[in-house]
Amino acid sequence: MEKTIKIRTENLAFSYNGRTILRNTSIAFAENEISAIVGPSGSGKSTFLMTLNRLWETIPHCTLQGVVEMQCNGRFHDIYQKHYPVTQLRRQVGMVFQIPNPLPMSIYKNVAFPLQLKGGVTKETVRGRVMECLQKVRLWDEVHDRLDSPALDLSGGQQQRLCIARALILQPKVLLLDEPTSALDHTTAKAIEQLLLELKQSCTILLVSHYLDQVTRIADTIIELQNGSLIRAGADHD
Amino acid sequence: MNRTNEKAVETLFFLSAFFSALLTIAIFGFMLALGLPLFAEGRFFAIITEPWAPHLGHFGISPMIVGTLAISSLSMLFAFPLCLGFAILISVVSRGKIRWLLRKTVEMMTGIPTVIYGFVGIFLLVRLVREFFDAGSGMCVLSASLMLSLMVSPTMILFFCDSFERVPSSYGKAVLAMGGTEIQRFLYVTLPNSWPGIVIGFTLSLGRAMGDTLIALMIAGNAVQTPGSLVDSARTLTSHIALVFAADYESLEFKAIFACGIFLYLFTTLLVITARLLGHRGERWAR
Amino acid sequence: MKRFLELAVPIFSWLCGIILLGAVLSVVGYLFVHGWKSLSLSLIFGTTPPLDALLMKRHVFNGLFPAVIGTFSLVVLAVCLAVPVGMASGIYLAEYAGAGTKAILNLFFDIMAGLPSIVIGLFGFSAAVFLNRHFSGNIHPCLLISSIALAFLVLPYIIRTTQMALEGLPLSARMTGLSLGASRLQNIVHVLLPQSLAGVVSGVILAIGRCAEDTAVIMLTGVVASTGIPRSLLSHYEALPFYIYYISSQYTDSEELATGYGAAIILLFICLILFLLAFVIKKRVSYLALYRA
Repeated sequence: MEKTIKIRTENLAFSYNGRTILRNTSIAFAENEISAIVGPSGSGKSTFLMTLNRLWETIPHCTLQGVVEMQCNGRFHDIYQKHYPVTQLRRQVGMVFQIPNPLPMSIYKNVAFPLQLKGGVTKETVRGRVMECLQKVRLWDEVHDRLDSPALDLSGGQQQRLCIARALILQPKVLLLDEPTSALDHTTAKAIEQLLLELKQSCTILLVSHYLDQVTRIADTIIELQNGSLIRAGADHD
Repeated sequence: MNRTNEKAVETLFFLSAFFSALLTIAIFGFMLALGLPLFAEGRFFAIITEPWAPHLGHFGISPMIVGTLAISSLSMLFAFPLCLGFAILISVVSRGKIRWLLRKTVEMMTGIPTVIYGFVGIFLLVRLVREFFDAGSGMCVLSASLMLSLMVSPTMILFFCDSFERVPSSYGKAVLAMGGTEIQRFLYVTLPNSWPGIVIGFTLSLGRAMGDTLIALMIAGNAVQTPGSLVDSARTLTSHIALVFAADYESLEFKAIFACGIFLYLFTTLLVITARLLGHRGERWAR
Repeated sequence: MKRFLELAVPIFSWLCGIILLGAVLSVVGYLFVHGWKSLSLSLIFGTTPPLDALLMKRHVFNGLFPAVIGTFSLVVLAVCLAVPVGMASGIYLAEYAGAGTKAILNLFFDIMAGLPSIVIGLFGFSAAVFLNRHFSGNIHPCLLISSIALAFLVLPYIIRTTQMALEGLPLSARMTGLSLGASRLQNIVHVLLPQSLAGVVSGVILAIGRCAEDTAVIMLTGVVASTGIPRSLLSHYEALPFYIYYISSQYTDSEELATGYGAAIILLFICLILFLLAFVIKKRVSYLALYRA
């Protein structure tokens, strides 16, 4: 069956401070699938994720060459072309970082934040979506009675689930996750994996992971990077 | 907030920054322009070499230049070792509650108004100096330097403390792990590595000492002479400006104030640039 | 030799501590010993009933009230002028300026921060003269000119503290907001500024203290020894630090001198209270900005 491609890169090269991190990487990611990116430390996995939402632009001394395209309604758009709306890109491409980074605000404000930045939603809508997202990440039961307390008071695992909820609130088409369960205990990790499996119906998921068993469990495609180059890309059951 | 609004706000930020920078240049420009009559007839070197005797047509400010240099250098001579010692006390020797208390006290000291140092200086310090040396009125270079060193100390102490703290703790931990004491860690790791910061702190404090008006005005004596000894009365460029300000605006005497201003501007700018150059070298070293 | 150094350093540092603390204590102590007796309501309000004075019903002729009001007005005006410009400049430097521009601007602001206050006062005076000549003969050294000059004085401090507060935030703080779809300005306003508010506010309080204690700038831009409460922005005014300076050389009897001591104590109190305020506000402001639902 012909798979629809959601994101593809062509001859993508990236360097930081003169050091090459990614070399001529050309990968295509299928829509509504979980693609796992694996490889040894320093192979450029996290950097690769950042090229997809242009977040590397916040770091000085970085250069990028090549093309990154995203498919929207059947047409591919170069996300690096001039005047491309970066903020809109980042709303459609959600990101969860390796180390949880809740903002120094209340739990409620954290999750609601992206929605409030975008604007144009009523308070009731926000409230509903916050509850929905917190329920999806299995956090609602633990925090529903203290939504106004500081998010930084939560445990590491709870914070990470909070960040995932926050990434989901804008209902992104693509979700980038950089080792999302490395700080979580086994049960919570399994719950997150379950969540990802549910999400892939509406979302394209790119997952960087060190846990091969996790990858085998949930990934549809495995992309392997080494020294910034693509080693192999293939379906899970190769 | 839509794009045009955002763009407008960002332009405002840009304009503020450039307006502020322009101000720095404008300050120099105004003084140059207003002091021009004094320089016009090729009197530039006269300013530096002549004595100050307006009624004779001499507008030399060299006694004041010497006064400024003498008082500020002397004050730094007193202040530097004391501040270094105090900073060592805060950062290395003391611990826990005492350390916190000492640091907070120094931070509070930075808020003491300069005019109070001058005021107490007149009635306490000047009297002591007069009695101790049994010469002159007590209003002299020494008194001004002592008070000035007290004034610049709190900021310099905090600067030194911050320099010590900026040295990566991993360096020092190695010394401690070898069984070294805190003092040893300080002497052999922290101090050598924070030296650029210390020199910068010294330079900037020297600038502050040079730029002080009130202490010199109130307790240095204000005699228009090149000071020959510590107990001689002297006048600085800053107090000269304050004192001559009362003169007739149109006179050349008044214009000499702007010459003082120009010198002060150049002196302090030189110190800032020196600190800058040292700073950059320091950054490279720290990496 | 090394042994000796290691033993001598702690002793030396304690010696320095004792000397410096002793010196400061003598200064402050001397002030209190000679001035506490003059501390009373009549020091501030003279022979006018306090309530009448505060409600501006009657003038105060032999009290410090006009000087207190003068200092207060100066500080409020100067800070209102300096803070918006300073914060905007600081934000520009931290978030928008390229490396070259940033280096040059930083140099300019460092120079400005290092200028003697009397040079700033001189500039204020020159500007007033310039405006007087070319715009309106009504402009002469006054409250407004002094406030503007004081604003110039503290501008580099506010720029620097804002810039450092913003730049001190870790990269992750910056990236978090952006990754959630915030525009640059939204990121600054909603994510970065609230987190750096503590630093910014303490910079403002520092500026307030600086304006309250400065004497050199106001000496050249309109302060006088006796004129009552400033009638308007364009009038002369009194100020506490200038009163202290003036009285130190112009006192005629011990009673007048005592008022000088009293004024010095009041000024010292104001500055120390501001310092304590900075300590408290830092924590409160951050909390309010971030955790209010």
